[in-house]
Amino acid sequence: MDGVSAQFFAGEIHAVLGENGAGKSTLMGVLGGFITPDSGEASFRGVPWRFGDPFRAKELGLDMVHQHFTLVPAFTVAENLALARLNHLGRVLDIPRLSRRAREWAADLGWEIDLDAKSRELPVGAQQRVEILKALSGDPAVLVLDEPTAVLSPAEVADLFRVLRRLRDLGTAVLLIAHKLSEVMSVADRVTVLRRGRHIATAALSETTAEQLATWMVGEIPPSLEAGRGTAAGPGLKVEDLVVAGDRGEVAIQGIGFQIGRGEVLAFGGVDGNGQVELAEALAGVRQPRQGSIRRESGGEVAYIPQDRREDGLALSLSVSDNMLIVGHRRMDLTWGPFLLLRKVQVWVRNLIERFQIVIGSPSAPVRSLSGGNQQKVVVSRALDRCPDLLIAVNPTRGLDLKATDYVHRKILEARDSGAVVALISADLDEIAALATRTVFLSRGKLLEGNAAAGLTGGAV
Amino acid sequence: MGRGVGLVVGLFLCLVLTFAVFGLPIGDSLRLLAQGAFADKFAVSRTVVKSVPLLVTALGIVVAWRAGMYNVGGEGQFIAGGLAGAWVAKAMAFAPHGAPAPLITFAILVACAVGGGAYGWLAGLLYTRRGVEVVISTILLNFVAQQILGWLVAGPLQERVHQLPETDQLPDAWMLPRIDPQTDFHLGIVIALLSAVALYVYLFRTKAGFELRLVGANARAARANRVPAKRVQERAMMLSGALCGLAGGIEYTAMAGQLGTAFSQNWGFLAIPVALLGGLHPLIVIVSALYFGALFAGSEQLARFTPAGSTLVYIIQAVAVLGFVSLNAWQERRQTRQEGA
Repeated sequence: MDGVSAQFFAGEIHAVLGENGAGKSTLMGVLGGFITPDSGEASFRGVPWRFGDPFRAKELGLDMVHQHFTLVPAFTVAENLALARLNHLGRVLDIPRLSRRAREWAADLGWEIDLDAKSRELPVGAQQRVEILKALSGDPAVLVLDEPTAVLSPAEVADLFRVLRRLRDLGTAVLLIAHKLSEVMSVADRVTVLRRGRHIATAALSETTAEQLATWMVGEIPPSLEAGRGTAAGPGLKVEDLVVAGDRGEVAIQGIGFQIGRGEVLAFGGVDGNGQVELAEALAGVRQPRQGSIRRESGGEVAYIPQDRREDGLALSLSVSDNMLIVGHRRMDLTWGPFLLLRKVQVWVRNLIERFQIVIGSPSAPVRSLSGGNQQKVVVSRALDRCPDLLIAVNPTRGLDLKATDYVHRKILEARDSGAVVALISADLDEIAALATRTVFLSRGKLLEGNAAAGLTGGAV
Repeated sequence: MGRGVGLVVGLFLCLVLTFAVFGLPIGDSLRLLAQGAFADKFAVSRTVVKSVPLLVTALGIVVAWRAGMYNVGGEGQFIAGGLAGAWVAKAMAFAPHGAPAPLITFAILVACAVGGGAYGWLAGLLYTRRGVEVVISTILLNFVAQQILGWLVAGPLQERVHQLPETDQLPDAWMLPRIDPQTDFHLGIVIALLSAVALYVYLFRTKAGFELRLVGANARAARANRVPAKRVQERAMMLSGALCGLAGGIEYTAMAGQLGTAFSQNWGFLAIPVALLGGLHPLIVIVSALYFGALFAGSEQLARFTPAGSTLVYIIQAVAVLGFVSLNAWQERRQTRQEGA
């Protein structure tokens, strides 16, 4: 996060909007005291705010509802509520007294809560109510909610918004962290937009439009989006009637078809969570499609730059060298039968480090010790080492600074120019503008062509 | 080998610390311990012979834990191996004409590895097919193995007279040969060392071993790069069980010569700290196995100072493991703090 400033007022619902990785959670972590910033200052009711002290933040009246619940599953609701107000360990535990304020809030908000139920037995919606009551039991002046709607049904979302409005009317400053535009449009009074760790804009909702917010979130929609570069140099990949299931068995990709020629970059725009990961994994051969066909005209190497380098790209505890071997251990020139040729591997790794200018102490250092940009370079270098025949890249520059981004982009264009079939799946329109030959948008598992705004807003505007 | 040296120094400090806490004369205790473990070739053989089952079982633990499969069922796999071996031995005894003895010994050892491997594989399958945590399944399978052992040695595998709950003694010719007939130095020592080297090569010099370590470090990343994580996990558990079973086989064919209800003397459990202290590295595990082997061999002498006697070994083991774990945690914290900065 870099040089972000914002003001939040009592009695307003202030949405902090941005794509994943834009820095929303970091900003809230700073306010909540969980992250200490390198520079900058804050004040609360005119008094300077001390960073890095979550207990003090809570005492002063800032409480948070985290994206991942912080309930003790084996405790009853009453016990969980009491736990939030427990400020000593030495005296007799008086659960009714400690949870009294939270129960009053529940009555005030019209929520019926079974205090004796174990919290793990509650449905998610009810668990979140307990989370909110926990936060409210300290009567906070500022209530921060991190992506609170992610797990809720539409009816639950509506009820949550009713409660947020009520809190606002009572004079609480409500900070809502969100990436769904439609929700922000329906509940927020003011909006702050972050992109790539930078403050883009703050505006009253009445003075802006959904299209304007979308543009702030993902970058200018360039006028020449459809005017592509790179020309198809022959048939490459043909996908027909593709249906792919997500991790929970839901249909994530709903029967789409497209073609990408050699020397062409087909960009899939759109907001995360619309089937991007599932499409990429199906193309990369990681996930078995439920239906449809993926036909390639030539059978060369497939390179895959997964969306999340920490989860899917790297094994953080292993060395840089081992992480490059994730791709390298399949190369014929680095192996002999079942064996790895360690000396050749060493030379190959050093060569990659040099060519891709990866800044590290030693190839045997754990990849965890690298900066995010250099970690991503490890993923990119091993994928683009030899020109692949098919390249699938998902948000390949997320979290990278401008220089590293530019570098990765040039490498992808190099691959394109040497005849690779490139599927670029990206939520960043600047990136799509820089790379795409043609662009389509993924929305709820379907392809929308030429309708950028609908694609960006998930069809909800 | 810097880690090996650090390990030796650390383990020595653990000894001194434990003696000091229990108020034992440090110098004398160390001297007695060393005498018991290294004074003459008989003492050394006692040390080495105790190290062998520790080492081979610990290698089994290493291969599973490196794959992220926290196998604590070394005990059960050790027993399963011994049982498979005893079953083959019994079948051979009924064979009318004798095959050459070394071949029979070999067949018994192979059966032990297969038996242990199958038992470990079972836990692997339970995990990949049914999502049963390996820690849970393997710890429970230990009890199952112990009960099966109790039943078999009192039933189908019982000695000819049907009096004692144990199997027949293997004929001397079928036992693993002694390198030095005066002492207990046996061929199992060589098998153990070769296993350590082979496992080192497997883990760090082969594609399959790399995939195993990758799955252990991040199974999701393995999957995203088309490494069949589940199959690798199953394979790791099979290999782990096979090594534990082989340890049982060596104990059976080199030392015990028969199976009783007390066949495994907790080797499967004792091997876990040995593997951990060896940093889950096959070659460094040799050092930690020798250390604990020496402790077990030497500790009988300590009974002169304290009635606690050989119990002290377990205390020292606990001190060493706790020290090791705290050191790791401390290093990790320092590392993350540096990253945060």
